[in-house]
Amino acid sequence: MPPIPGWSGLHPLIIHFPIALLFVAPLFVVAAAFWRRHRESWSLGALALMAIGTFSLFFAVATGEAAGQLVERTPQITASLERHESLAETGRVVFSLLTLAFATLVLVPMVLKREPASWVRQTATVVFLLAYAGGIGHLTRVAHEGGRLVHEFGVRSMVASPGPEAAALGADTTGRESRDDDDR
Amino acid sequence: MIRAKSAFLSPLLLAASILSAAGPTSPTPPAGTLKDMQEAYNGESNAHANYLAYAVKAQEEGYAKAAALFRAAAKAEEIHAANHAQVIKSLGAEPTADLKAAEVKSTRENLQAALKGETYERDVMYPGFLTQARKEGKIDAIRSLNYAKTAEAEHARLYQEALNDMDGWKGQNATFYVCPVCGYTSTTRPTAKCPSSFTPSSRFLAIG
Repeated sequence: MPPIPGWSGLHPLIIHFPIALLFVAPLFVVAAAFWRRHRESWSLGALALMAIGTFSLFFAVATGEAAGQLVERTPQITASLERHESLAETGRVVFSLLTLAFATLVLVPMVLKREPASWVRQTATVVFLLAYAGGIGHLTRVAHEGGRLVHEFGVRSMVASPGPEAAALGADTTGRESRDDDDR
Repeated sequence: MIRAKSAFLSPLLLAASILSAAGPTSPTPPAGTLKDMQEAYNGESNAHANYLAYAVKAQEEGYAKAAALFRAAAKAEEIHAANHAQVIKSLGAEPTADLKAAEVKSTRENLQAALKGETYERDVMYPGFLTQARKEGKIDAIRSLNYAKTAEAEHARLYQEALNDMDGWKGQNATFYVCPVCGYTSTTRPTAKCPSSFTPSSRFLAIG
C-alpha cells in the first residue's frame, strides 16, 4: 500500500479534482439545455459537480499553502508562488459565486414548482455559460501557474516522508529540481 | 563441524545482542536534524542578542533606519529561534543556546558582520540543514528551516542595501514589517499575505 501523505503533501493529489470537475460541469449544463426530457437530472448533475469541484478548490488552496511553506525560495519561485496563490484565491471566490448562481437557477423553480418562461430560462443559461467560461479561463491560468512551478522551476511537494531508506540511498529530496510524480 | 561451531557461537551472539540492546553507558550525542536544529537555535538566539546590541549602537551613531532594521531583524531571529525550539521539543529534546556577549563595533562594521552571518546562513548553513531534514522527512523541521532561510535572504539583501547607502540610512526614521509566523522582513507591508508563510499581512508586526 502506498504511504498516506501528510497535509502538506496532499496538494498534488487534490488539485486535479477541481480542474476535472469544474471543466466537465458546463457540459452537463449544455446537455440540460438540449435534452429537455432529462433537464432536471442533467442540471442537478451539473450542480453536484460544481459544488464538489468548488469544495475541492477550497481544499486545494489550503493544502497548496501548506505545501508552499516547504518550498525553498528563489525570487522567481516566490513571485510565481504568490501569483499562483493569489489566482487560486480569486478562483475560489469566482466558483463559489458561479455555483451559488447556478444553484439559484436550478433549485428556485424546483422549490417553487413553477417553470420560468422558455426564453427566460434560455437567456439565463447562456448568460451563465458565458460567465462560467470566464471562470474556466481563470482556472486555466491558476493551473498554468501551478504547472510552471512544477515543470519550469522544478518545485515539488513532499508527498510522503522519504524515511531512513531514502536517507541511506541519498535520495534527492530538496523540494526542487524534481517533479511531482503525478505531474510527470 | 559447522553445527559444533554454531552451537559455540550462538550464546556469544546472543550475549552480544543483549549487550548492544542495553545501549552504551554514556548518552549518545544528538545527530542529524536534531543536532542541526540545536545549532540553528543557537545561531538564531545569538543573532537576536547581537542585533539588539547593534541597534543601540546604530541609534547612538544617528543611523535611525539601520537601528530599525536591526530591531526588526532581531525580532525575526527571535521568531526563528522560537520555531526551532518547538521543533527541537517535538523531537524529544530541550533547546539550548550558548549565548555569547555581542561584539559591538561601528555601525558599518556591525552591518558587515550581520551581512556575513546572514549570507552564511542563507548559502551554507540552512541549505545543508534542509537537505538533511528532507532526507529524514522531518516536515516541521523543513518548514522552520525554510522560513528562516527565506527571511535571512531578505535580511542579507537589506543589510547590503544599508551598506551601499550609509548616508541615506542616517537620521531617517523607518518602519519594517515582520511576519509573526516566519520572520519574513520587509520594508513595506505585503498587499495580502506573507510570501513565505501565507500569513495575512494584517498580522505583520510594524517595527520602527
